Amino acid sequence: MMRLSRWLIFVCLCTLGVTLRAGFAQASVSGVPLKIDRQSSAEMVLDVGVVIFDPGIPKDASTHSKLGIFPEIRKSEAKFMPVILRQVLLKSAAWGVVRVLPETLNSSELLVTGRILHSDGLRLALQIRVHDATGRLWLDKVYVDETSPGDYPVAAGDDPYQDLYHQIANEMLAMKQRLGSKELRNIRQVGLIRYAASLSPEVFAGYLSQTAGGTYILARLPAADDPMMERVSKIRNQEYLFIDTVDEQYAALYEEMAPTYNMWRQFGREQALYRESYEDRAANRERRGKRGTFAAMEQTYDAYKWSKIHEQDLDELALGFNNEVAPTVMEVSGKVFRLNGTLDTQYTEWRDILQQIFVLETGLTPDA
Amino acid sequence: MNLPRLPIKIIILLLTGCLLLVSCSSDGGRQKKKTVVLQGQSSDDVDFGGSWELDYSQSDNIQTKLDSMVRELRRHADRTGGNQGAIMVGGAAGTNSAPSIIGLARMSDLITRSPLLKIQQSEHKIKVKREENFALTCEFYAGQYKTVETPLGTEICGWNGHQLVFKILLPEGLSIQHVMTLASFGGKLNVATTVVSDQVSYPFTLNRVYNRFVPGGSGFSCKMTLTKGRVCSTQSASTPATTPEPAPEPAPQ
Repeated sequence: MMRLSRWLIFVCLCTLGVTLRAGFAQASVSGVPLKIDRQSSAEMVLDVGVVIFDPGIPKDASTHSKLGIFPEIRKSEAKFMPVILRQVLLKSAAWGVVRVLPETLNSSELLVTGRILHSDGLRLALQIRVHDATGRLWLDKVYVDETSPGDYPVAAGDDPYQDLYHQIANEMLAMKQRLGSKELRNIRQVGLIRYAASLSPEVFAGYLSQTAGGTYILARLPAADDPMMERVSKIRNQEYLFIDTVDEQYAALYEEMAPTYNMWRQFGREQALYRESYEDRAANRERRGKRGTFAAMEQTYDAYKWSKIHEQDLDELALGFNNEVAPTVMEVSGKVFRLNGTLDTQYTEWRDILQQIFVLETGLTPDA
Repeated sequence: MNLPRLPIKIIILLLTGCLLLVSCSSDGGRQKKKTVVLQGQSSDDVDFGGSWELDYSQSDNIQTKLDSMVRELRRHADRTGGNQGAIMVGGAAGTNSAPSIIGLARMSDLITRSPLLKIQQSEHKIKVKREENFALTCEFYAGQYKTVETPLGTEICGWNGHQLVFKILLPEGLSIQHVMTLASFGGKLNVATTVVSDQVSYPFTLNRVYNRFVPGGSGFSCKMTLTKGRVCSTQSASTPATTPEPAPEPAPQ
């Protein structure tokens, strides 16, 4: 009963604190099968970029322990969870290429961003926002899931919060199915032009206009055989090659981290449940002696002592997690950083070349 | 945890001994102070980090403290026109009853029993690991006292400019306060533990003095992991957490 009331409080807090304040819808999920898209033709697919999640760590470090946030674990989760969502989206067969991005790429045909609101072995709450290249908002919701005893131990390739990811994927698919092939083609075109405009605004900005609400509209289209667009496509493919390499690093991190992380969540769940039931038992047990006697004081002290010891066991587990996973996270972060650096350098080179081609072909100066 | 309980006969003997001591000694209140004077100026100057072992010779003797408390209660009873009945030998638990007074002393002993402490200190956190007990932890932000409430008790902790203070408020009128003070040379640590019960008029304080020590090199280093538990290797740790730096001299007052 106590657990139920705490869970209700948790849901209420999420609803009131998040929904009312920021206007997000919320979905509690359980037993959600993944919908597979068996209808979409090749021209109905969109490429998806899933940006590494915001770990949701408050800047005020003094609040971390009260909120049950272990910052290093949260940072690892922010890289881990997008990889699971990516896998689920690929499994739904509704999308083209799904990439995990180190940072927001606004020209992505479909961009998924997320924020971790709560995460432990018992419950996960994610705020997920999805919008397409035209700026249309597909989803802006808080998803909440709770584990059951059957979710642990976690089988290889599985996740205790699989339902939550299924729910997100299903809602993205439902949104896609509401759009016609014309709309989807428009999204792809706007995505490409936005990318081109990011490379050469002076040439491509005129192809797009933006409504007061921020939605991008195609004003006109380059010719189908426009050589500049061919080059833009080539550069974009080159960029995707780099991003795919980054993506592989995140996938490797996922593989490396999964066994330890799943164990952490399992222990965390056991600790949380034990602690809750212990507190109930401690509060309701029969008194050993009259108030003020050693027996009564010892009982009171022991109840507190053991609850503290269990709480501190979780800290020890977090330390074990950090010792085991942090070096891998650092290594991957280092590689991704180096890759970004390379990407930036390549970008600059490509932009220089594009500018030179532009000058040669049009006879205009780059500043025109 | 099942701790041995003192048989009632021993309790009665203890209390009787205390009362005899009160009646025979005229200056029993003036006990030789063994506690080292400890002081520091700010949390930046004071490094509690390291390993500490209990110095029994400099720590309070529980029997002496109990005697002192009984004398104090006796004086109080005399002042207020009470009689010997203020301390009821072998009586039922109640305000200033023998079971309550002895219970308070035994609780103080139970709480302060840890012979070894291992303290980890960082810019914002301190963790005092106590052998056979839970760790005392505190986070320092903007000089504020931190309060953590749980269904089983409330913790308040902070740095008062000189000492680390941990206060635990428990149900049934029981509260515990640990005040940790570091000696100016950094080699000694005093932990003054005060236990308060709403069934006894006076708090019971025990001072435990700890000496800093450097754990012997084991030739291997260990770290906690989640999947494999504690993993040890023969590689020497670059700077083992258990090896404290020499304690800095706190700035003079």
